[in-house]
Amino acid sequence: MKNILIAFILLLPAALLSQEQPLEEGVIRYLVTHNWSKKMAAVDYLSKQQRERIAYMWGSRSEWKVFTTLYFSPTATRYEDSEERAEPDDEGYSWRKDVYQIKRDFENNTVHDIIQMIGKTYIIEDTLSKPEWKILNELKEVAGHVCMSASLSDTLKKQQIIAWFALDMPLSGGPERFCGLPGLILEVDVNDGAMLISADRITLQKLDKELDLPKKQKGKKVTEAEYQEVIKKYVEEKTKAEEPWFWGLRY
Amino acid sequence: MQKYRLLSVLLFLSTFLYAQNPSKVTLKGAVADTSGSEIAFATVMLLTPADSTLVNFTRTDDKGNFEFRNVKNIPYLLKISYIGYLPLQQYVPEAGVSPNDLGQIGIKPISTELMEVVVKTAKATLSIRGDTIEYDASSFKVPSGSTVEDLLRRLPGIEVDADGNIKAQGQDVKRVYVDGKTFFGSDPKAATKNLGAETLSKVQVYNEKSEQSKLTGVDDGKKEKAMNLELKEEYKKGAFGKVSGAVGDQERWAARGNYNRFNEKEQLSFIAYGNNINQTGVNWEDYGEFKGQNSFSDFDNGDFGFNSNGGRYYYFNSDDAPVNNFDGRGFTENFGSGANYNFDNKKAKFNASYFYNQSRLFVDQYSDRQTFAGDDSFFSSDTTGNTDFRGNHTLNSRFEKDIDSNNVLIVKANGRYSNASSDSYQTQHFSSSDNTPINNLNINNNNDMDSWRLTSAAIFRHRFRKKGRSFAMSGGYNNNRTNGMENLFSLNRFFDATTVEDQIRQLNDNANDSWQAKSSLLFTEPLAKKWFLETFYNFSKANNRVDRQVADPENSGQRIDSLSIFYDNNILYNRIGSSIRYSNEGLNVSVGMAAQQLNLKGEYARDEGAPLIAEPIDRTFTNWTPNLDFNYEFVNNMWLSMNYGYGISEPQFNDLQPVPNVNNPAFRVEGNPNLGPERSHSLGLNFNYWNPSSMSSIGIGSDYNIYDSQIVYSQTVEALDTFGIVTTTRPENVSGGNRFSTYLWSNFPIVKTKLTLSLNGNLNFGKTPAFVNGVENETTNNGFGLNARFNYTPAQKLIIGLSGRIGFNDISYSIEKRQNQKIQNHNIDASVKWQFASKFFLESNFNYAIYRNDRFEFNRDVPILNASVRRLLGKQNRLEVRLAAFDLLDRRVNITQRGTQNYVVRSIAPTLARYFMLSLTYNLRGYEDKISKNNWW
Repeated sequence: MKNILIAFILLLPAALLSQEQPLEEGVIRYLVTHNWSKKMAAVDYLSKQQRERIAYMWGSRSEWKVFTTLYFSPTATRYEDSEERAEPDDEGYSWRKDVYQIKRDFENNTVHDIIQMIGKTYIIEDTLSKPEWKILNELKEVAGHVCMSASLSDTLKKQQIIAWFALDMPLSGGPERFCGLPGLILEVDVNDGAMLISADRITLQKLDKELDLPKKQKGKKVTEAEYQEVIKKYVEEKTKAEEPWFWGLRY
Repeated sequence: MQKYRLLSVLLFLSTFLYAQNPSKVTLKGAVADTSGSEIAFATVMLLTPADSTLVNFTRTDDKGNFEFRNVKNIPYLLKISYIGYLPLQQYVPEAGVSPNDLGQIGIKPISTELMEVVVKTAKATLSIRGDTIEYDASSFKVPSGSTVEDLLRRLPGIEVDADGNIKAQGQDVKRVYVDGKTFFGSDPKAATKNLGAETLSKVQVYNEKSEQSKLTGVDDGKKEKAMNLELKEEYKKGAFGKVSGAVGDQERWAARGNYNRFNEKEQLSFIAYGNNINQTGVNWEDYGEFKGQNSFSDFDNGDFGFNSNGGRYYYFNSDDAPVNNFDGRGFTENFGSGANYNFDNKKAKFNASYFYNQSRLFVDQYSDRQTFAGDDSFFSSDTTGNTDFRGNHTLNSRFEKDIDSNNVLIVKANGRYSNASSDSYQTQHFSSSDNTPINNLNINNNNDMDSWRLTSAAIFRHRFRKKGRSFAMSGGYNNNRTNGMENLFSLNRFFDATTVEDQIRQLNDNANDSWQAKSSLLFTEPLAKKWFLETFYNFSKANNRVDRQVADPENSGQRIDSLSIFYDNNILYNRIGSSIRYSNEGLNVSVGMAAQQLNLKGEYARDEGAPLIAEPIDRTFTNWTPNLDFNYEFVNNMWLSMNYGYGISEPQFNDLQPVPNVNNPAFRVEGNPNLGPERSHSLGLNFNYWNPSSMSSIGIGSDYNIYDSQIVYSQTVEALDTFGIVTTTRPENVSGGNRFSTYLWSNFPIVKTKLTLSLNGNLNFGKTPAFVNGVENETTNNGFGLNARFNYTPAQKLIIGLSGRIGFNDISYSIEKRQNQKIQNHNIDASVKWQFASKFFLESNFNYAIYRNDRFEFNRDVPILNASVRRLLGKQNRLEVRLAAFDLLDRRVNITQRGTQNYVVRSIAPTLARYFMLSLTYNLRGYEDKISKNNWW
């Protein structure tokens, strides 16, 4: 009897079953919502009172939204910041963007990223490493796709990451540097809303040169391990100096 | 199997040559649905059984087969997921042989309704953990006031019959728990019929061991359906607060408290304080907590102009903030209390606050002043005793509504009622440059004043469908009313004159009423992708009526016509301007021009309705004002900005009145009805650099102002036989004045995270022309300051700060060079914060200030030493006891040194010196048992 979970067995809408012949190439626009006071809430050298004061005084004013873009194909993804502005009041003023290019090649199993951080540009070339995702049981819908959740914990940056990957998009790419799940990652929640990356527009289309990295690449070439070491050193130093590390480093 | 394992263990122990199982294994199998037909492209994952970590994944081929080649031979959780089917999890033990064929694995479809929950309901989460299905209650909309039962009827897979009996997946639900606990006995309906649907966050349905097996502890294998209702987390609801009291010697005391309550949408706070230790208000942190989400504003400025649409600025709402603003002189008694309410549901924000604060100030001040008049100069020494009282009732309110995503409305209104009174006794002793006494002036003035102020504004912003095109409109009304009575008495004694004594008494009745109505428009149009055109228009009309009636109390209150005045001024202001902005990749340049017209109208009479005493003023000033703004952000945290503007500001009403103000007969203040506006060119340059990897930063900023027309106060100094020395000041427009200031700041670590050095410097030059007795005198003020600070953190429990500052200020005069002054103010500061035991803290600082002025042979050093010890008490450190000693050396005094166009002055005012205090604070949140490096973030 315990196996009777199902009350009705009916045909599912055709749309849900369309995964048999998916066009696995296209562009995703992610809406990234940064919540400044929630980022500060995880800064443990501040007193509880200081962290609470920030949240109490800033409230809903501490949110900042931007768009990012992911180009994906069955063999590779490229991720970058979007030219499009998500904050409507921000029109008319242009901020300089840090160089941020994230390329994943799943055919050759390689990483090729260009990241400007801590006042320097790094070019990371290495083989794809496997993050230790834990697969959870929740299901939900993101941008019209049923997603399953997985979690990851970053002990250095003190981040709890919940990712939602699409069951019907069998690519292991995702936004930022997140990847390695059996489906395309459509949503990432870092530290309970401190940064929420959510796919808000998925366009399936043939890609041409969009997956290519810019030809001009200037920066220090490092391996993944060396890149992680740079981050580790910076985060530890900043924590010791009791200053937030995320002013100099992408969250 | 068991045998094999035992054998293999024995084999393993006897020899390392044979492993019990192959170290690598190939796992394979096939996925099919309950009817046996194969499922292609299903996701198959290998997880570790301990924590579900993903090890590997693959997809089934078109026949439904999958295979993991050569994976580590350890136990796994095999997880299969496929759209429309329940995720399946199966334990796969370590394999004895490779390949390990798991055979056909069946997965079950999710009911359409459950699937719809996932897909159709907006972002609804439905989670399935083994046997448990969890519904997110907030995703199912039920009318307000609905019970849990009503909610359950809407959940797919759950049926509720007419009697309220519940079935889940066709089975009776035997038990209903609330937050895992039985709710009022065992009747499952008690909870579902009585609880409100809005209190729930989640509904969980799962299988539970039967009651029988729970009692006996023997699992009879029977499972029954149970339901758990999880109540909404009310973690966002809370309260915090603090109350503290302190007593000291010499009857010093201080008390304060604040209490805040909040939930997701509302914040309510109370604050109160009182003391006689010169804290005239609350500190900024407490004030921020008091105002809560009303602390900051972003789009509140309705006076649009150049660059009003470039970026987003947050600023602290500091209007009328009852924060500590003690200027260091004298003794004060202070009280204040207020309440603040904020509402924010993301679509609308509403804030209202009320505050009452009062301060009573007692100041004694001694000043020495040397005034130059032509070739001559004279000295005056002042002894002043002042008692001031001021009480303010302040009411603030603000409403912001996002009408929709393209329209925002902000309405604000602030009101303040104040009453103030002041009593002053002043003795002025005048002597000539060779120290021959001339006269002695005793002044006793007192006044009472009531004032009322209203400021209000409404701002509406609209964004058009075309990206970058926007429109904003604002309107405002301000009103100011003051009523006051001044009672002036002065007695003038001459040391060498025919009239030995002269007495003046005057009763002034002042009524001041002014209002301003204004409106602004702003339109932004994108010309191309990176080009924008901003156009603005400002309008303002202001009126000011002043009625001052002066009476002579010695002469039975007879009105003194010559000193009385009534006037009515109007200012009409119009400005229209436009600028073009180019914005791309960190480069923002804007060039603009505005035309502005200022019209001043004024009529002056001795009394309302009386004939005019001067020609009515009617003057119009029309100007073109260019504006240039340049901002560039280099790669790697370097910013450069430059701006140029031409500014025009109208004269103050007080400066326009044609009748002198003679509250102090030795210092007559005259107005100038012909005074024009102040006009100046200003140029600014800023550069900042921040290096995040070395954690150092540097910045430099410069400002230069040159005046086409500057309002300065010209002086006439006369030695009158009948009075002594009288100084008359009168505002006048002069050109040629200029001001340049530059500052440099830098901050860099010497030993990272342990020792940092901050170096700041400033340099300024200024030239102000003014007339002294009709002769143009140019005062040059050159200053230089340098500040160095070391922050040393040798250990987590010890922070040491050491800083020093030197400051030089040279004042020179074009007509009287021998009066040139060199003023020096230096100081050294050392501070320590030390946690010397768990919950014990020592804080101390020492400041040594040096004041020098060679011309006056002025030479004074002020060392100040403060120290305190505090201890935290209680499990959560909610209690703090603190013993503090202020100014242990008993040397605190306030000193100011200043030089202007034709005089130099230095003043000394005693203030609160050595005292001791014992304080006790209870903090609802508890204190942190550590010292923090930064009080900023």
